[in-house]
Amino acid sequence: MMKVEAIIQPSRFESVKDALREAGIEGMTVTEIRGHGRQKGHTEVYRGREYTVDLLPKIKLELVLPDKLVNVVVDTILKTAKTGKIGDGKIFLTRVDEAIRIRNEERGESAL
Amino acid sequence: MSVPVTPLSVLVSRCEDERSRIRKEFESGIGAKKTLRALCELADRSLQQVFKDVLKLHDSGPNGLSLLALGGYGRRMLFPYSDLDILFLFANDKVEEEFRPVISEFSRTMWDLGFRVSSAGRTVDESKRIEEDNAEFHLALLDRRFLDGDQELFDKLDQRILPPSERQARPFLFSQLHRLTKERLSRYGNTIFHLEPNVKEAPGGLRDYQAAYWLRQILGDRKDLRGSSAAEEQLAADAVEFLSSIRCFLHYSNGRNDNALTYELQAEAAEKSLGLSDGVGRSAAEWMRIYFRHARTLNRQLLRYLDQQMAAPMTLKERFFSAARNVTKTEPVVSGDFAVRSGQIEILNQQALSDRTVMYSLFAEASRTGTPLSPQAERSISYIMTHSELPVLNQAIPWETFKDILAGDFPGVALRPMHRLGLLMEILPEFRAIDSLVVRDFYHRYTVDEHSLRTIEHLQELANPADERGGAFAPLWKTLDRRDLLIFALLLHDTGKGMPVENHVTGSLESLDTAAERLGLSAEEESEVRFLIEHHLDMSATVQRRDIFDPSIVSGFAENVGTLERLQRLTLLTYADIHAVNPEALTPWKAEMLWQLFVATSNHFSRTLDRNRLHASDEKSVLDQVRTLVSGANTGDIERFLEGFPRRYLAVHSAAEIARHFAMYQKLSSSTLQTELTPERHGFSLTLLTADRPALFSTISGVLAAWGMNIIKADAFANAAGVVLDTFHFFDLHRTLELNPSEKDRFVKSLHDVLQDKAALEPLLQSRDAASRTRPPKVAVQTRLNFDDSASAHSTLLEVIVQDRPGLLYDMGSALARLACNIEVALIDTEGQKAIDVFYLTSQGKKLTAQKQDLLREVLQGTLG
Repeated sequence: MMKVEAIIQPSRFESVKDALREAGIEGMTVTEIRGHGRQKGHTEVYRGREYTVDLLPKIKLELVLPDKLVNVVVDTILKTAKTGKIGDGKIFLTRVDEAIRIRNEERGESAL
Repeated sequence: MSVPVTPLSVLVSRCEDERSRIRKEFESGIGAKKTLRALCELADRSLQQVFKDVLKLHDSGPNGLSLLALGGYGRRMLFPYSDLDILFLFANDKVEEEFRPVISEFSRTMWDLGFRVSSAGRTVDESKRIEEDNAEFHLALLDRRFLDGDQELFDKLDQRILPPSERQARPFLFSQLHRLTKERLSRYGNTIFHLEPNVKEAPGGLRDYQAAYWLRQILGDRKDLRGSSAAEEQLAADAVEFLSSIRCFLHYSNGRNDNALTYELQAEAAEKSLGLSDGVGRSAAEWMRIYFRHARTLNRQLLRYLDQQMAAPMTLKERFFSAARNVTKTEPVVSGDFAVRSGQIEILNQQALSDRTVMYSLFAEASRTGTPLSPQAERSISYIMTHSELPVLNQAIPWETFKDILAGDFPGVALRPMHRLGLLMEILPEFRAIDSLVVRDFYHRYTVDEHSLRTIEHLQELANPADERGGAFAPLWKTLDRRDLLIFALLLHDTGKGMPVENHVTGSLESLDTAAERLGLSAEEESEVRFLIEHHLDMSATVQRRDIFDPSIVSGFAENVGTLERLQRLTLLTYADIHAVNPEALTPWKAEMLWQLFVATSNHFSRTLDRNRLHASDEKSVLDQVRTLVSGANTGDIERFLEGFPRRYLAVHSAAEIARHFAMYQKLSSSTLQTELTPERHGFSLTLLTADRPALFSTISGVLAAWGMNIIKADAFANAAGVVLDTFHFFDLHRTLELNPSEKDRFVKSLHDVLQDKAALEPLLQSRDAASRTRPPKVAVQTRLNFDDSASAHSTLLEVIVQDRPGLLYDMGSALARLACNIEVALIDTEGQKAIDVFYLTSQGKKLTAQKQDLLREVLQGTLG
C-alpha cells in the first residue's frame, strides 16, 4: 500500500477530484493549506496596507491506495493538475505498513 | 432464603412482551402521550415488583427508604430508550448504610430488565441543602413523584422540607437554568432551523418545553408574569405531542437514545405522516415545515419565560438607590407610540399598531440602532398579525420605508423578528417559498430562510468582527453605500430554492421581478439587485476554481463585475453567503482567498480606470435613454458630451443622472459653470460641470473646506472635449446647510464667485484654518505615495494614502497645480480617518517624468507631513 500526498493549485482541485472519480477512486482526504516552494509569494497593496502573500493557498490531497492503483492515480493527478506554470505543486509517495478500519477492525488492503 | 420472588426470566420476558406491545400500538398510531404513559407505567410496575422482591430477599421492610421518580420520568414522559432517573431517599445515614445491599441488587436487576437506571441517593437532611455545583439535580427534583417505599418519608420531604428551601433557592435555580439553557441554545447556534435537528436538545426541541415548564414552576406566583392564553397552551400541547411522536419514532428506529432527525428518517416519518392525524403522506420538506412550526412554538414559549427577570433580594441601601433611580430616570421616547426601556423597544400605544406605518417605523428604529424589541412588544405585534379580522391601516409598504429597515447598521435586528412574526412574508411574499425549507445538502446546516437571515446577521457583525475572518471585510461593510440593495439581494438570493425551477438563481430572479414591481424599485436599483442575485455564486466559484493570482483571471472577473461599488457588494455578499452555510464553512483559508480576489480586482479597477474610455457612438442604449429623458436632445450632442469619459462614468451613474448631467452640459453655452447641490442620506453631493482649467479640482476642494465641508468621496472625469464633470460627496460638519436653508444659495454663490474669479479663496480659507487644525487625529495614518507609469497609456497614476483632515484635498490639489500637473481622472475616498486618493496625472499632455515625480513626492510630503 502507498500513501499519495499531492499538493495542488486550488483552482485545479475540482478537475483532479472529477478525474480521480472517473478513474474509480472514491475516497480521499482534502485539506486547505498554505505554503510555497519555488513559487514565492508577492505583496499586494490595498488602501495603503501591504498584504504580503508569502504563503500561497494550496490544496493537499491524501490517498492511501493498493499498489496497483498508485500509477493510475499519480498519472491522473499529473494530467489534471498540471498548468505548466510555477506553483503547480508536488506529489509525494510513501509506503504504508498497515491500514485498519476502525468500525470492524478489518486490516490491510480490504480496509482501504 | 425461602421467600418466593418472581424469577428474573419471567420479569424479563414480561417486560419484553410489554415493550413490544407498546411499540406496536405506537406504530399503529396510538399517539405519543399514551405511549409515554404506557412506558412509564411499565417502568413503575417493574420497579415496584423488583423493589418488593429485593426487600423480600433481604428480609427487609421499606421503612426509612423512599423511591422517587425525577425529571422526565417524574413527569410521566418516559421515551423508549430514555434513562430512568430515580432518587433513593433515606431517613438518615444509618438507614442509607443498611440499605446499601438492597439498592445495589435493585439497580442490577432493573438493568437486567432493560431499564437504564440513572440513580442518586440522598438523606432527608442532605436534600435540604442546595448543591451549587449540581443545579441539574435540583431542577430534576422539581418533577419528583413517589414510586414506592416509605410514603411518610416522601410526604415529609415533598410537603415540609423542600417547599421552603426551593422557595429560597428560586433566584439560584432561575440563574442556573437560565445559564444552562443559554449554553445549550448557543451550542445549536440559537436557531431552531437545523436541517437535521436534534429533537431533544436543539432549540425548539423537547428540552425547551422541559425548561419552560421548570421556569414556570420557579417563577411561580410572580404577579407580573404574563400567563399563556388557552390558545397558546393548546399550541404548546400539540407541539409536545408532535415532537414526542418523533422522539419515540427515532428511539425505535435507532434502537437507542438517539434524537437526531436525519434526512433518511425525515423521509420515512413524512411518508408515514408521523404525528399527524390525517394519514396523508407528504414530502419530507412539507413535513419538516410542520416540524419547524411546532418547534417555533416551543422555542418561543421558552424564550418568553427565559426573558423574565428574577428579582434578587435587595438590601435597604440598594432599595433606596433603586427607588431614587426610578424617580429620576427618564425613558427616551422614540416616538409617541414606542420608547426604549432597559435596552429594548417597548410599545406605548397598542392601538397605534393597527397602522402599519407605526409598525414599520418601529422596525426601522431597531435596524438603525440595533435595539431589539421587547418580548412584550413582539407579543403585541404577534396578536395583531394573527388576528386578520382586525382593521389594518397603510398595509402596503413604500419602498422608501422598507429601504430604511434594510439600510440600517443592524438590519438583522429588525428582519429576524419581522420574519418570526410573519411581517416579512407579508411585505415580501416571495420569502414564503423558503420559509422553514429544508434543502438537503451536505454542507448547509440550516433551513433556507435561516441561512438567508444569517447572511444578514454576519454582515452586521462586521461592525465588531469577532475573529480574523471578518477583520479584513469590516471596512467594506462600514463604508458601503446603499446597504439596502445588498440586504434586499440577500433576502431574495435563495428564494428560488423553494420554487420548481432547475436552477434556483432563475427562481430568485423571478422573485425579484415581482418584488421590485410591487415595491416600486427604480430600474437602476432593480438592476443592481439583479446583478447581485444573478452572480451571487460567481465570486465563490472564481475563488475555488480559478487561479486568482493570474492577472487575466482578475481582469476577466473585473470586467464581469463592472465597478468597484458592485465589487464591494458582491464581496460582502459572498463573505456572508459562505459564512452562513455552517459555522465552519468560512475557513480562514477561504476568507483569505476571497479577500485576495477582492484586493486584486479592486486594484485592477483603480489602475485601469484611464485605459477604458467611452466611444459614445457604441453606447446605443445610453444614448436612447438620455434622448428619451431630455426633451429636444439630439444624438450628436449627447455623443459629444459622453465621448472620452472613462467607462466608470457609465457604470456609476444611472441613466437619469446622466440625463441630468447632459442637461447641465447643454446650458454651458449660456453659463460656463453649472452646479447641482443635492442632499443625501449622510450629507450632500455637489455635481459641477465646466471647461477644464488649471487648479479647478483644488479650487472646488478649497471652497468646500472653507465652508467646513468634509469631503468623503469624489471623482473627477474629463471628456474628449475637455469638459470636466466633478462629483463631490461631503459631510456638512457643522450642519450649516442643513439648519440654514438660505445658506445653500450663499454656498453655491460663493463657489461660483471663486471659480469665476469674482472672489478670492484665501480669505475664506484663513477664517476656517485655525479651528480646523487644532484637533489631533484619533488614529495616526502614515503617509504613502506611490507612482505607477504602467497603469495607463498616457497618464501617471499617483496613489496617496494620508491622514484625513479638513482641507486636505485642497492642499494636495494646490500642490499638483503649482507643479503644473493636470488631473485627468481623480477618485477620492475615505475610510475612517484615512484618505485614499487616486489621481491620473499628466504634465503638458504627457506622463510625468521621473524628475517631476521626485519633485512632486518631495512637495507632497512637505505638504502632507
